[in-house]
Amino acid sequence: MFSSDYDPENVTRILFQDFPTWMLVVFYIIAIIAIGVFLYGVWAQIRKYRRGVRSGAWSPFWPRFHEMVATVLSHRTIKRRSKMTGKMHAWIFYGFVLLFIGTSIITLDHDITGPLGISFWYGWFYLAFGLVMDLAGVVLIGGLLYMMYRRKWLALPKLDYTRPDRAPGDPDFDRSDYRREDWAFLWTLIIIAITGFLLEAARVVWLQNDPMVWDVRWHAPVGTVISYVMMGLGLSPEGGGDLRMGLWWFHGILALTFIALIPYTKVQHIFTAMGSLMARDPDGKRRMPSADVDAEHIGVNHLGDFSDKYLLHFDACTKCGKCHEACPANAGGYPLSPRDLVLSLRELSKDTFSGATMPAEPVQVIGDGPNMIRPETLWSCRTCAACIEICPVGIEHLPMIVEMRRALVEEGEFDPMLQPTLQSLQKSGNSMSESKRKRPRWARQLDFKVKDARKEPVDVLWYVGDYASLDPRSQKVTVAFARILHAAGIDFGILYEDEQTAGNDVRRVGEEGLFQALAEANIELLDSCDFKTIVTTDPHTYNTVKNEYPEFGGNYIIEHASSMLERLIREGKVAMPVDLDYRVTFHDPCHLGRINGDVEPPRQVLGQLDVDLIEMPRNRDNSFCCGAGGGRIWLPDPPEMKKPAELRATEASAIEGLDVLVVNCPKCLNMMEDGVKGTGNEDNFRVMELIELVAEAMGPIDQPDPDDGGASKPEPVGAA
Amino acid sequence: MKILVTVKQVAALDDEFELRDDGRDVDEDFFEEDLNEFDHYSVEEALLIKEAAGDDAEVVIVTVGNEDTDDALRTALAKGADRGIRIWDESLADADGIAVAKVLAKVVEREKPDMVFTGAQSADFGSAVTGMALAGLLGWPHAAVVCNLEYSPGSDTATLRRELEGGLEEIMTVRCPAVLSIQLGINEPRYASLRGIKQAKQKPVDELTLDDLGLAADGVTSASRVRRMYAPEKGQAELITGSAAEQATRLAEIIKELRGM
Ligand SMILES: Cc1cc2nc3c(=O)[nH]c(=O)nc-3n(C[C@H](O)[C@H](O)[C@H](O)COP(=O)(O)OP(=O)(O)OC[C@H]3O[C@@H](n4cnc5c(N)ncnc54)[C@H](O)[C@@H]3O)c2cc1C
Ligand code: SF4
Ligand code: SF4
Repeated sequence: MFSSDYDPENVTRILFQDFPTWMLVVFYIIAIIAIGVFLYGVWAQIRKYRRGVRSGAWSPFWPRFHEMVATVLSHRTIKRRSKMTGKMHAWIFYGFVLLFIGTSIITLDHDITGPLGISFWYGWFYLAFGLVMDLAGVVLIGGLLYMMYRRKWLALPKLDYTRPDRAPGDPDFDRSDYRREDWAFLWTLIIIAITGFLLEAARVVWLQNDPMVWDVRWHAPVGTVISYVMMGLGLSPEGGGDLRMGLWWFHGILALTFIALIPYTKVQHIFTAMGSLMARDPDGKRRMPSADVDAEHIGVNHLGDFSDKYLLHFDACTKCGKCHEACPANAGGYPLSPRDLVLSLRELSKDTFSGATMPAEPVQVIGDGPNMIRPETLWSCRTCAACIEICPVGIEHLPMIVEMRRALVEEGEFDPMLQPTLQSLQKSGNSMSESKRKRPRWARQLDFKVKDARKEPVDVLWYVGDYASLDPRSQKVTVAFARILHAAGIDFGILYEDEQTAGNDVRRVGEEGLFQALAEANIELLDSCDFKTIVTTDPHTYNTVKNEYPEFGGNYIIEHASSMLERLIREGKVAMPVDLDYRVTFHDPCHLGRINGDVEPPRQVLGQLDVDLIEMPRNRDNSFCCGAGGGRIWLPDPPEMKKPAELRATEASAIEGLDVLVVNCPKCLNMMEDGVKGTGNEDNFRVMELIELVAEAMGPIDQPDPDDGGASKPEPVGAA
Repeated sequence: MKILVTVKQVAALDDEFELRDDGRDVDEDFFEEDLNEFDHYSVEEALLIKEAAGDDAEVVIVTVGNEDTDDALRTALAKGADRGIRIWDESLADADGIAVAKVLAKVVEREKPDMVFTGAQSADFGSAVTGMALAGLLGWPHAAVVCNLEYSPGSDTATLRRELEGGLEEIMTVRCPAVLSIQLGINEPRYASLRGIKQAKQKPVDELTLDDLGLAADGVTSASRVRRMYAPEKGQAELITGSAAEQATRLAEIIKELRGM
């Protein structure tokens, strides 16, 4: 490309070529101011976060850092459920990063190592550098153009900032400032990139007579092509020089302004997203934050009660809308969008925590004012964790909601319908206002005696749970499961009237004191029993015993019924002679599938049943909540809202010839049967528990124990 | 300014139960104890008055019961009452409303409240007598089954609405201090979180004996005594369906059967 006649040291770009000294001085002053403004902004942001409760969420630092870097480089979280956007974001990201590294290299060569006599930005390195920069510029512009197209023409509902928790006329109803900022961001970046190319081209025109420039012009192909166009339009070298000078200043000042504004605008997500990803709790969706119930105060009702990590989360949100799209409350028209919750808190903390001094009064978070979170918003949540699951920057919405609910419960501010439930839980350890004695009564329907795990050792302790014990519809499943276990020869027992709810929903509704009391009582009881593993048909119980009891000293091996059935079938302990000729679809329970990743065992069981499984569009980690979680099963859904279960039933009804909507959770069973009725689908397909299908496929069960009185008269199970 | 609220820990019966060996009550294994539902409302009413008065009022909770009844007391305290008083003596084990009212009258004389609230009745025995007996013993103005109350601390009178039979209501004014028995629905009682109930352990509770009140065991005798508690035998019912003629035939059959024809 360049002949060996040239000293390679001369093959470079002379920075500030032909600049009078005053210009240089002016430029450096502007650059220093820009960097100063940037640094001040960064410092002010960090100061803001440090006004929260210290969480230590960033330690251990290095493993978290590595994980974050891997996530960012792979764009794994951004690509999920939106491949194209993820790819285009990667173009912008890599384009931007390369150009940033390029600029840093030049600065290093010119301002740091250069003055020390060490230069490297010349010759082959310089030429390759130019090519890479051109490529980066093209990729950056390509990505930005796609994003403009996406915003303008795809009209994605998730990018609509209109808030479900506000009415038209409320301040910030459609967050139009955010929309303007998005466009300003895209335009600024694309103009910086385009002027970069024009600048390159103008330099070629200007220095066309300098062989050191002209001979190597193709190392920057894009700029050179544009330079031909400019020359074709009659631009002279002098004209090119003038243009270059004008563009240089324009490009330079725009780029410096961009840098200066990073901490003050959405550009900050570059840093906040990284910080947020690092702080993410891998168990955030499974385990609600621990709390000292003996402390003066519990939960969050002031901004300063949030930890530094959450304050950073607020700023990390990129408004991508993925959580907004996934949220069942939002889909049903409830006044909750996890995105808007985070953004409200962002604005609130910006307004109150950014100043040099803290506000004199604690900043109320819950209330009706602008950017405050309304109680009805908090009560709309189903704690399904769809938001946490999909957030590309690791924001944990659900724990924030639970923390705020804790404050509401403490003040007694909740739907009056919830009160009898909580009182029943306090009094008798179940949510159904039933006496303790009623809990094991379902077992009377069996023709064998279920062992009392309190009194004799068992292999498997069955934690039955509230709905499975007391809800008449779920009791049928419970009875069927007991028969399956018995037929499979499992040595199992239950806790009879001493079992209390495990507390998953109690914790998520915000009654932390009651949850901890239940957890402690249950752990004490479990520890007094002799068993090897625990099984439960209830995913809520499963989640809490597995993930939340260790915090209180309860460490057990617990299995969900689906995994146990899968194993028993695989080991040949459950024979299923009857072919079920059904077309089915499977509704993943949030607490089993998304939250604990157990998406395959129920499907493997269905595979063994020879049914025809057709998936709904939203399945596995993207399953759509039935609407029961977080205590919502205890609260009525207002008629003007669409129940999540009805939305789900409609989704299932799109499957041609569907016979059975299979659920795998007592609460899903309850909600989905309502949802199917509510959408007028009860004549089209049935709702059945996976366990009922297995029982049906087993046919009349022969009891293995010849001593057992009921064995001679086999009874069909699971026929609902 | 002080409001005294009397609360009772009541028994909630299981749907299957057994009677005690002496046949005079349900075996306590078969019920769960809880704060009387009516008392949630009377406590709330007192707290609302206290809060409206800018917390410049004291709400004192009183219960007559053994130490197991502390739970009911704590629940009321957790809601925001200031302090509690629990009076117990073994001789009160079978106390009826009249006996309890005699004890409460002494507490009222001691505390000198500006107002006394009781529940309209108890969810377990339902005699609806304790509050009114207390007013009688004190010679205070009273109103039963109050479903709306306008009262500000320190004023000489309170205006209230009470439920009568047949959907009627009456509005009346009582001189204060008075004893009011509070009906369900007068307000929306708040929830006492378990954390709040635990923390209410720090609130002061005076544990008094009859002696402390200047009473002797024979001064608190009950006016009545339960002789036997039993489940009455259930009658039979049959739903007669079909056409008028079929129904008449079946009815005739039944009548014949019953008459032994
Ligand atoms: C407060 C109230 C609520 C009611 N709610 C309902 C309701 O929810 N749904 C509804 O369908 N009806 C309801 N009814 C109507 C009631 O069921 C009828 O009035 C009753 O069955 C009498 O039937 P009849 O009109 O045919 O009277 P008649 O034929 O004159 O019968 C009079 C007498 O015959 C006997 N008799 C009549 N029918 C029967 C029977 N089926 N079983 C046993 N004995 C019988 C009784 O001794 C009765 O007094 C209600 C009535 C009242 C007063
Ligand atoms: S947990 Fe589920 S219901 Fe709650 S905000 Fe997140 S997505 Fe919405
Ligand atoms: S919270 Fe996360 S998922 Fe929701 S809009 Fe913000 S970045 Fe996207």
